[in-house]
Amino acid sequence: MIRFDNVSYSTNGIKIISDVSFELKKGDFTALIGANGAGKSTVARLCNGLLKPSRGAVNVGGFDTALVRTSRIAKFTGFLFQDPDRQICKNRVRDEIRFSLECVMEDRAEIEMRCERTLKAFSLDGERDPFSMSRGERQRLVLASILATEPELLLLDEPTTGLDYRECMHIMECISVINRKGATVLMVSHDMEIVQDFTREVMVLNDGSLLAHGRTKDIIRDESLLARASLLPPQITELALRLGAGYENVITVDDMVSAVKKKRGGAE
Amino acid sequence: MGGFLDYSPGDSFLHRLNPLAKIFLSLMLSVSCFVTDSSIFCLMIILLNIAMAAVAGISSRALAMLRTLIKFCAFLFFIQVFFIREGNILLSLPFNVYVTDKGAMFSLMMVLRLIGATLPLALMLSITKMNDLSNVLVERVGIPYKYAFSLTTAIRFIPVFTAEMAGIMEAQTARGVAFDTKNIFKKIGLIFPLCVPLLITSVRKIEGAAISAELRGFNCRKRESGYKSYPFKTADIGVSIFALTLAVAGVFIPF
Amino acid sequence: MIRISGLSFKYDGGREEALKNIDITVCKGDFFGVIGSSGAGKTTLLHAINGIIPHHFHGDYYGSVEVNGLDTIDNKPEQLAGTVGSVRQDFESQMVSSVVEDEILFGLENFSVPRDEIEKRMTDALDKTGIRNLRERNIATLSGGQKQKVAISAIIALMPDVLVLDEPTGELDPQSSRQIFQLLGELNEKHGITIVVVEQKIMLLCEFARSLAVMDRGRVVLNGPVSEVLKSSREMESAGVNCPRVVTLADRLRNENLYMGPVPVNIPEAENMVRSTTL
Repeated sequence: MIRFDNVSYSTNGIKIISDVSFELKKGDFTALIGANGAGKSTVARLCNGLLKPSRGAVNVGGFDTALVRTSRIAKFTGFLFQDPDRQICKNRVRDEIRFSLECVMEDRAEIEMRCERTLKAFSLDGERDPFSMSRGERQRLVLASILATEPELLLLDEPTTGLDYRECMHIMECISVINRKGATVLMVSHDMEIVQDFTREVMVLNDGSLLAHGRTKDIIRDESLLARASLLPPQITELALRLGAGYENVITVDDMVSAVKKKRGGAE
Repeated sequence: MGGFLDYSPGDSFLHRLNPLAKIFLSLMLSVSCFVTDSSIFCLMIILLNIAMAAVAGISSRALAMLRTLIKFCAFLFFIQVFFIREGNILLSLPFNVYVTDKGAMFSLMMVLRLIGATLPLALMLSITKMNDLSNVLVERVGIPYKYAFSLTTAIRFIPVFTAEMAGIMEAQTARGVAFDTKNIFKKIGLIFPLCVPLLITSVRKIEGAAISAELRGFNCRKRESGYKSYPFKTADIGVSIFALTLAVAGVFIPF
Repeated sequence: MIRISGLSFKYDGGREEALKNIDITVCKGDFFGVIGSSGAGKTTLLHAINGIIPHHFHGDYYGSVEVNGLDTIDNKPEQLAGTVGSVRQDFESQMVSSVVEDEILFGLENFSVPRDEIEKRMTDALDKTGIRNLRERNIATLSGGQKQKVAISAIIALMPDVLVLDEPTGELDPQSSRQIFQLLGELNEKHGITIVVVEQKIMLLCEFARSLAVMDRGRVVLNGPVSEVLKSSREMESAGVNCPRVVTLADRLRNENLYMGPVPVNIPEAENMVRSTTL
């Protein structure tokens, strides 16, 4: 779905991304982690052509991003930004969703059908004014209007920052559903627990270089690798690492409880 | 680094000038471009601007600004040049479209004036700390602090809003709005609806700024509260005289 | 000391009360965390402490708020500013200057601090937050964490007894978020400043705060020492707050009758907990 071949990106003479190569397959759910300023958002923007590589090539869905317009790539990709207010530009929920559809397709009947279906699926009130909704609700509206277009690739730039836990889970579950239906997802995030709970692969970025790309459960246990990207493992993983022998496969609270029971059973 | 109008720190001769002298200099440079009828004089003022930017160590920013201005002005030039029908025809095109010597000259002057007047203001703002500007307006000119602060805050918010607008355009491009179209009229038509999100964000940011200023005692400020003082030195007087001379020269320049 | 009694507030034009009958006492020297889902009234509560409510935002106001003996109805925000310092959520729009030094001067000048004292207060504030080296820098070129430290320094220079902060790490990465909380911990312990902080990152609150209030739809549903509040993990979850996983683990172990001790608030404590159950 996405292939980076030795991609570098510089702006104003400053190198932001250097020599990054990776490939994401259809249906992957990958997290992109790293400290602020590591270049995560830049990689996400290179994926759909919002930024064009200074060197190397980015191929997305069979298109070289340097050769096609971003609006062409947008027809099969969705991009959820941190701040929903940069996208919302209509004063009715229904119009906002319809506008997203109009950007990528022309069939009126299809647009109306999808619009109504999305309103129902996200239980949104089509007549509401988006600006009277909370930030979490607005973020959900933006996600709904993106998912209405049924993108094959979904790019997420810290989609849950500024949201409370409930709103955050809501957004992540919607994203999980579309991933299970076959969409490729690349998510920039700081929240290691979300990364652990939802993604299958992780890429670690530091100072514009790709440090690692592997299975989530391996990467979140690699303390020294995470430390290089100024990150810590999720709580239960960190606890399991400290406890050592007998806790090697512990990831969730459930795992930990069974590991404790097993250990007690062995002792008794 | 930093965007358009962001303060660019330094310790050059121009940086050290009194903020009032800087503003007067840039105003006079702008004025001189408007009062003169000489395209060569305008061109010289623009070159002087670039030279000043080099002294202040921001030549790369000045050139970037110049490039943007030229792009914008080229657009204006072509609109203008086809609308003036008087004078001798220089170039004749199909569909009764032609370019006259008067039209070309007028359009050229307009473009030079626009560049000559915009550049100095932008340059001066990027080498003046906004606080110094508001303080000097209060201390030297006697403008009430509230107005001086509002003025400088408005200027300070320009780059913030520019960045916000860029962010909005990016978000809209990502959803498939064709901002990457080559057709400029179509592009303008697409940008128009984006004023809604920009307005909402702006109102929120301004509200936030007002509250935090209030929390930090903005309403208690008195005229003599200022910590720094801004004496008018010999260099400032010299620069002001030079600026005034340029403006007067603009009126009388023969070529 | 902050004493909030029977506080209810409805914004002009608001459909519902944003705060409903709030009673909270924050003792001098406390590090007080506030958490809750969005729309729970956290920011409104901070605004009621620094006087923005009722002086800037108007509405129906019942009850009273007193900070170090100053009533927030009789005293305007600027009169409270020497007592309560506020750091707001969006640090981009709260900055008034282009250079760090000027940002700190702004408040000092406004309150007409004598000239000879200004320099001392400025260096003091920059030393306390550890950013003396940034004094001449252009704010636009700083990282998010550095900007937040500048915002805190500008408030510390006014020497408030209480510092209220609204999601100070909202836009920061885990490492900078931690640094900000370490700084707040230092200001609290070394310099005796009372801290009231609204924050979504529950793990940071558990580690650094001493008291915790959980808000839900305008009410304070839990309030007390952190370790006490964490025992009610079920109530926290129904208020839309994510419990730290080590707390959930403690809960589960308690339900299985494997653990009876105190709730762990960080990894070392959790390690001791697990080791004690498997001894």
